[in-house]
Amino acid sequence: MKDAVTSLSSAMGSASRRRYAPRTWMLILLTALVAVSVVSLLIGAGEVGPRRVLGLLQGASDSEAQFIVWELRAPRTLIGIVVGIALGVAGALLQAISRNPLAEPGLLGVSAGAAFAVALALVLGASAATLRISVAQLGALIGCVCVLSVARFRGVGNDPVRLVLAGAAFSGLLGSLTSLMLLYDQRAADEIRFWVVGSLAGRRLDDLVAVLPSLLVAAIAVVIMARPLAALALGERAASGLGHHPTLIRWVAVGCVALLVGAATAIAGPIAFVGLVVPFVARAFAGPDIRRTLWFCLPIGPLIVLMADIISRVAVAPSELPLGVLTALCGAPVLIAVVRAKRLPML
Amino acid sequence: MKVMANHPPLTDVVTPSHVLNNVPIHTAEHADSVPAPEGYWHIALPRWGYSFLLEKRALAVNIGLLIALLASCLLYLSLGSVPLAPSAVIPAVLGKGDMMTAFMVQELRLPRLAAACFAGAAFALSGILMQTLARNRLATPGIIGIDNGATAFAVASIVGMSVSIAPPAMALAGATTAAVLTFGLAAGSGTQGYRFIVAGIGVGAVFGAVTQLMLARVAIDTANAAYPWTVGSLNARPGGAVQLLGVGLALGVIAALALARSLTLLRFKDATASGLGLRVKARRLQILMLSVVLTAFAVAVAGPVGMVALIGPEIARSLSSARHVPIMAATLAGALVMLLADLAGRTLLAPIEIPVGIVTAVIGGPWLLWILMRPQRSRP
Repeated sequence: MKDAVTSLSSAMGSASRRRYAPRTWMLILLTALVAVSVVSLLIGAGEVGPRRVLGLLQGASDSEAQFIVWELRAPRTLIGIVVGIALGVAGALLQAISRNPLAEPGLLGVSAGAAFAVALALVLGASAATLRISVAQLGALIGCVCVLSVARFRGVGNDPVRLVLAGAAFSGLLGSLTSLMLLYDQRAADEIRFWVVGSLAGRRLDDLVAVLPSLLVAAIAVVIMARPLAALALGERAASGLGHHPTLIRWVAVGCVALLVGAATAIAGPIAFVGLVVPFVARAFAGPDIRRTLWFCLPIGPLIVLMADIISRVAVAPSELPLGVLTALCGAPVLIAVVRAKRLPML
Repeated sequence: MKVMANHPPLTDVVTPSHVLNNVPIHTAEHADSVPAPEGYWHIALPRWGYSFLLEKRALAVNIGLLIALLASCLLYLSLGSVPLAPSAVIPAVLGKGDMMTAFMVQELRLPRLAAACFAGAAFALSGILMQTLARNRLATPGIIGIDNGATAFAVASIVGMSVSIAPPAMALAGATTAAVLTFGLAAGSGTQGYRFIVAGIGVGAVFGAVTQLMLARVAIDTANAAYPWTVGSLNARPGGAVQLLGVGLALGVIAALALARSLTLLRFKDATASGLGLRVKARRLQILMLSVVLTAFAVAVAGPVGMVALIGPEIARSLSSARHVPIMAATLAGALVMLLADLAGRTLLAPIEIPVGIVTAVIGGPWLLWILMRPQRSRP
């Protein structure tokens, strides 16, 4: 197992990894995150360019720039950071419990489950703002349990690639059902048309505040779970020998994944591939230890989401791209690379 | 730990003698002395010195599917926003009877019927070709990304330039690109395992994102015109593409029937197939090209309705015996599925029309899950 993970990370430039300690890398990544966040404040689709924003920061009075930076771009950046962390950590957790480097909330249909649940609630008459988060989390939980139980079925779980296929079938089905409901109910469609494509545009800070409690719960659970998860990586028997309960660990982890993905989906809509790419990169920096991987997911997730978001604003200005398009463009090659690896790394 | 679970071949093991029974016997005198195997009719044409074996079951299946297809054609023509009596439809097809009815049937419903039948048949035929080629029942063009490749290029031709390059041509270019990418990226791991499929899913995801990218770039009106392309719908049929698809489908069926024996042999290992006299590499390439061309033309008409390529062959295989690759049955079943799906999409939530791609995805998704989950041994 160990050399499989090492070979994975060697693909990501092991030479440079040897030169710096993980702590140094962490600092570099954090610096990069700060830089990207600043760029995210500076650049946008509109007319307020970097120069005007810098002028604003130096104290010039520019009400338009002030509104755009503090009311639009700052919340957007914050939301990007939170979504990136949530999806990245959820991906790492899901990969750890299914021992499958391809397990990803978007690919396995967890995000699709959340989106489907929200669409269903809307069609049944709920109003969007209040219910969305808990409904999305419930949908994510059901999606997660569904696809993992498919994985337990007749040895599908032994084959990482087959699990992805089941997930793709599942999320394709849920996606079609969602669009079916949106076709049926025009009101619901208008309400979530811009949400269902997955984007950070036009999200309000209130949404973020509303999901914070559940994110906190998930964060505490992940902190407690880190050691048991690391033990679980040694195998089920070793974990129980060390005094942990593998089944309990799995269920708590599934709960965390549902909370995180549900929250991220409730804010930003379904975004695929982030949960695949982030742990993949994090493992390259951190090595096989899940605890370190989780730490590295914290800066890498926001980095990737923010960079994708910035590109989505600039690429087709003045209109915007859905964020999911960009994450798919950078995630699909990673998927192919993992599948093509001579020995599929088992976690 | 062993990672790859090899996907078993598409059929149960068939001894080569069964296969050889299927070979046309070229001398009529010789054929007279040998009784036809059980379940077959021996058709001899002594005047041309030619005789062949006709499987009774295959004949029954094809006739049954044809009758079902004709019945659903009638249903398709009569149901709609203005329901017509079936007795009024048949004269209207022939151009007689009430003017209004004739107009509705001939100008509105008949072209769409043709598009649905042709596209469904082409999808299913290309599906069964690809499945047999890859020895993998999940390897349909839609799943391994070829549909999405064709769609991306077709959308490029619609949003990028005016209709100077016809969508079918661009779709063909896209389908070829996607096929080359998927087969190239999966090279080394073979086509049998699930890795091949997931590599194809990755390729499909890239092309899907590219399609979205192009739709986001353009003005909203053009994007609306191109929207059916992303889900698959029979609403926006580019002029000429349907005729092209019809011609391509006719030629494709003939070519597939000519390749039937090769397809039957290709289900064995390469060594067995070449030992039985098959030029494996050349045949593979021909089958791949045929499948790609059929997919491209079908996508140019209907968009990515890839699930038909999964459902049609599955129906055909479950009806037919395992001795042959059921080419005709798959083609007919594909047309039938597409027709019924579009009929359901038009009528279920009327006046809202559900794109046919969504209907087939809702049917095909559980089907795909079932294929993944069911026990490996009990294959038809």
